[in-house]
Amino acid sequence: MANPTQQAQIEALADHLSANADALHQRLMRAIRKPSADGALPGISQGVAQALFENEVALRQRANGLYLEAGVLAASGLGPQQQQLLDLTERAKEKIEKIDRLKDLVDLAAELLTLGAAVAAGKPDQLLKPLEKLKQHIEAL
Amino acid sequence: MKLSRLFLMLGLLAILTGCASSTPRMADVRAFAAESPKLGAYHELTERYRNTYQREQPFLSPEADAREHELDARRQQACDDFVKLQYGLQAYMQTLGKLAGDSRYDLEDQVKNVGSGIKAWPDSDLDTRHVNAFAGLTRLIARGVTGPLQENAVNDILRDGQQPVQDVLDAMRTLLRLYDKTSDNEQKIVIGMLESEIPFLDPKRDRLLLALARSQQQEKQAEYRLIGLRTTLARKNLDAIEQQHRALAAQIPSKP
Repeated sequence: MANPTQQAQIEALADHLSANADALHQRLMRAIRKPSADGALPGISQGVAQALFENEVALRQRANGLYLEAGVLAASGLGPQQQQLLDLTERAKEKIEKIDRLKDLVDLAAELLTLGAAVAAGKPDQLLKPLEKLKQHIEAL
Repeated sequence: MKLSRLFLMLGLLAILTGCASSTPRMADVRAFAAESPKLGAYHELTERYRNTYQREQPFLSPEADAREHELDARRQQACDDFVKLQYGLQAYMQTLGKLAGDSRYDLEDQVKNVGSGIKAWPDSDLDTRHVNAFAGLTRLIARGVTGPLQENAVNDILRDGQQPVQDVLDAMRTLLRLYDKTSDNEQKIVIGMLESEIPFLDPKRDRLLLALARSQQQEKQAEYRLIGLRTTLARKNLDAIEQQHRALAAQIPSKP
């Protein structure tokens, strides 16, 4: 993590801006709901309300911009960790292959045994197929 | 009678333990790996964050729209990196699961090959009894070799994965929190605009508009409530993955 304190500071600043926007909104809604002099709602003109709301939106946008900045900081500097995870994944794959080769070895033993059985059964004409398989297998290892 | 039953039970026990081809620890590692789809909730919320501008746009004034447009460009760029955070972790979890896989450890197929290889030659002097004895022996040897190899490999990977996994999870959790706060502001811009404009409508003349605005307000409220729940769930998923990984790492026997 690049700079956790800087990220926290930016996030805290954004929290303040968001809270200010909340307060502004409450006041705006209270003004809108308050009856005007002639008793009809709302208590302020639409133009004034829109201008006030525009301020609130600007505050929220500023806060969201800061949240984005904090996010970029939180995600930055993780290159080494990401690389480490990819390296580990690669290593795990190699181990998997190694274990698979061991399984091949047991397969090999089975083929050798088949060969031995063919010899024991005294059928040399049928030796060719297992021999061929064995050859392929050894080459693949 | 009783004695024969005892033998039967012993025999069954031997078969059962023989069939259990993996240790409980490897099963735990596989269970951990099976959690990797849960990272999808993070991905989904990152994509939602990426589209913030699209959802806000109809509710913005021209000035606010210009500001948001500029912010959106930065957000798009950052999201490309945010999404990548989970990929390394996902690959790590899945490969770890494969390494701890049942089939890795289980050489039953090979052992059966040994048996059937011999059985294919009925004229040889080897009978079934020998074949089974030989297969049993092969099974033992195979397990003796690949078993510890697998356990060691899994432990090595887990040990070295501890810190990077922790760091990446921390960053993902921070981002989820920031998405949540951003979504809060988005909600207040969208619903706040409706809320502050509705009182200026004339109930008689703008009846249709009023109905549409109020219905939109309800829909939006439901949408943001749902997203809030999703964020909580995504955070819980990350916590669960972290806990499981920590528990697995804590059980690693110290290096000899």
